[in-house]
Amino acid sequence: MSSVAAQENRRATVATTRTPASSDRPRLSRKHREWLAAGLFLAPDVLGLLIFVAIPMVFSIVLSFFQVSGFGSYEWIGLGNYRRMMNDPLFWDSMKITGEYVVILVPVLFCVSLGLGLLVKQKLPGMGAYRTALFLPYVISLVVVGVLWKFMLDEQTGVVNRAMRAAGFDGKSWLGSPSLALGCLIAVTVWVMMGYYMIIFLAGLQEIPKEFYEAAKLDGAGPWTTFRTITWPLLRPTSFFVLLMSTVAAITGGLDLIFVLTNGGPANGTSLAIFYIYQQAFGFGEYGYASAMGSFLVLIMVVLSAVIFKLTRGGRFDDGE
Amino acid sequence: MLQHGNDAERPPRAHGTSGRDSNTSGPGLPSGTSRRRFLTAVAGAGAAAASPALLTGCGTAQAKGGNLQFWNFYGPQRSPDPAINAQSKWFVDMVAKWNATHKTQIDLVYLPQPTYLNGFKLPSAFATGEGPDIFLLSPGDFLRYYNGGVLADLTPHMEKEAIDDFGSALDSRRVDGKVYALPMEIEPLAMFYAQDVWEKAGLSEADIPTTWDQMLDIGDKLRTKTRAGLVFETQPGYYQNFTWYPWMWQGGGDVLDHQGKVIFDSRATRQALALWQDAVRHGIAPRTVPAAGDVIGGFKGGNVALWQQGIWNVSSFKAFAPKYRYGVFRLPVPPGGKYVTTLGGWSFCANAQGRNPEAAAEFCVWALGSMKDDSIDRMVDWCVGAKSDVAPRATALERGAAKGGYDSEIMKKFKDDIFPGGRAEPRYPPVVYKAISDAVQGTMLAGRGVAGEAERAAQSIAAYTKSYKGASLV
Repeated sequence: MSSVAAQENRRATVATTRTPASSDRPRLSRKHREWLAAGLFLAPDVLGLLIFVAIPMVFSIVLSFFQVSGFGSYEWIGLGNYRRMMNDPLFWDSMKITGEYVVILVPVLFCVSLGLGLLVKQKLPGMGAYRTALFLPYVISLVVVGVLWKFMLDEQTGVVNRAMRAAGFDGKSWLGSPSLALGCLIAVTVWVMMGYYMIIFLAGLQEIPKEFYEAAKLDGAGPWTTFRTITWPLLRPTSFFVLLMSTVAAITGGLDLIFVLTNGGPANGTSLAIFYIYQQAFGFGEYGYASAMGSFLVLIMVVLSAVIFKLTRGGRFDDGE
Repeated sequence: MLQHGNDAERPPRAHGTSGRDSNTSGPGLPSGTSRRRFLTAVAGAGAAAASPALLTGCGTAQAKGGNLQFWNFYGPQRSPDPAINAQSKWFVDMVAKWNATHKTQIDLVYLPQPTYLNGFKLPSAFATGEGPDIFLLSPGDFLRYYNGGVLADLTPHMEKEAIDDFGSALDSRRVDGKVYALPMEIEPLAMFYAQDVWEKAGLSEADIPTTWDQMLDIGDKLRTKTRAGLVFETQPGYYQNFTWYPWMWQGGGDVLDHQGKVIFDSRATRQALALWQDAVRHGIAPRTVPAAGDVIGGFKGGNVALWQQGIWNVSSFKAFAPKYRYGVFRLPVPPGGKYVTTLGGWSFCANAQGRNPEAAAEFCVWALGSMKDDSIDRMVDWCVGAKSDVAPRATALERGAAKGGYDSEIMKKFKDDIFPGGRAEPRYPPVVYKAISDAVQGTMLAGRGVAGEAERAAQSIAAYTKSYKGASLV
């Protein structure tokens, strides 16, 4: 008993001696510690976004009010670049083509990726190999993809036209006809991107509890009813993500493929807004004008993203979860 | 870019696994003040590491010092193409020789051609004051760089005899009599044809077309489902304009007259636009170039009968298809027209805002524009050794011929028949180029009316030239 009492006594002494030191340095509450940890984890990403996205965006907006020679001279012209943009038929043509591209690409990409996601979710032998094969185009350089498809779509010797001729049809000028070139660009883009969004959908599908499907099966629901009443509603957050990201990617991407496949032709038929902006900036040295168009494009994307958020309630379920 | 792999959605965590009850201190990290000290130290180290990078971004070429940089798209590099290796070696040897004999040292910086032509590296470098000290420039870009004030005057470093030796090859590189770029080559355009295809169709030398109609007829005769009868460039760009100009010039048309007045909307222009349009409309010319633009592959594969191409392909045929039978002839002319072809070719330029503009200009002249044997022979080596080009200096052309560089039937044809009727590639700025390109593309591939497209382009060019400030456009 005496040794126990002695131990208790020592503990009390240690506690007493620590108290003044603790009051000098107030300990952070658990909540504050969590905030600090969250801040530290987020800091690199936030810093990266700030340095490589936010600050250049601000610079770009500022640049849009200047006439820039491309060799270091800047002249303030106020809204001059924006006025020029409003009266530039080539810019509006490129916006129209971008609109067509987005309106066709995004739904097609969405449906193909979802379809593939549903297919590769099945438990079949060798499914891992199928998934890998479908994802493979995404990891190939876009320049390589462009060259590959350029050969495949070649008017005289391309495998596509050879197959068509073998089937008794006339070959087409896939990349040389204004009515077909944009469609080809969209098809190639879908081929590249479908694997990536397939994986996203697959992750979403695997999050849906199996019990729901078992219950539906017991109730005698068929595949379509199961998809409509279980899969589709529970995929809402994933669908929102895919919709938003593919829309943004469609508006801001595709430059490499355009360069290799068509260089904006034929007759500006694949000159998307992003290509036209790049051409004005780095081809013609019109950095101020390109910044004005770029800022306008960002504004369009913000509005479009807000509309998507509004229409899909940000991918949240009805109960707000 | 469409790829954005870092944005992948993460599957939601299962409830109860967030680890909220764990200690926020990292393993081995002391708590309290020590942690703050640690964070302060990390932040300080980060700032210290970031500062030089930020300062570098704000620096200028002049402030950097060091070796001069020569940006180019030839070397140093290794390629399976022996012609490209020879061209790379020419650059490497030239710079090595300069470095061995001069105090100011030069580093060769190789950029792949697509990056050099269409990438953002070169324009970004100039926009931030970090442009290379020496670089290669095409005529199409000359005015933009001159008006931007980055082309150093090479005249003070040149002898008058050397300037005269270049003759008209300097015309598109001069402003107010001063020389701002030195051409390293002259590259005329001609029609290349497949001799086997020609002969199998029962055609002979006597059938070589001299008029547009004859050319279209032969193209029509030689085409099959897998072989293009006649190939014109189809992708929009400076190169397509470069290949289209001679067809316009042959009928007496032009973009601007000698006073700089816009004369694009003319009968000759409409005629040239209609030529390409008709060739495509009737299926004689394809809407995209065969073999994805691989000239040698297209001919060897039997996919082309006639192709408007440049002299530079002679060295490629020699390297990749030495036994392939092909021929060349002058561009045919329209009724009442006069033969003209376009003369392309790149130049050496010195950056007036670089580290050492004087030394850079001196290098350009030493390399290509001096009257010394070394300089002339270097151009000969380039034009008839590493490449297959017409030399832009009279003395180099003579020496090249004496050396046997133009003895082959094809090169002789280029030197004596095709080149003499040539005209230098114009130096129109981007807005003018784009207006012409849209007219060519719109008529050729979208089937728009030639009159409307010529008029629209002329109006665009006229609107631009009214407010244009800079060196003469012609």
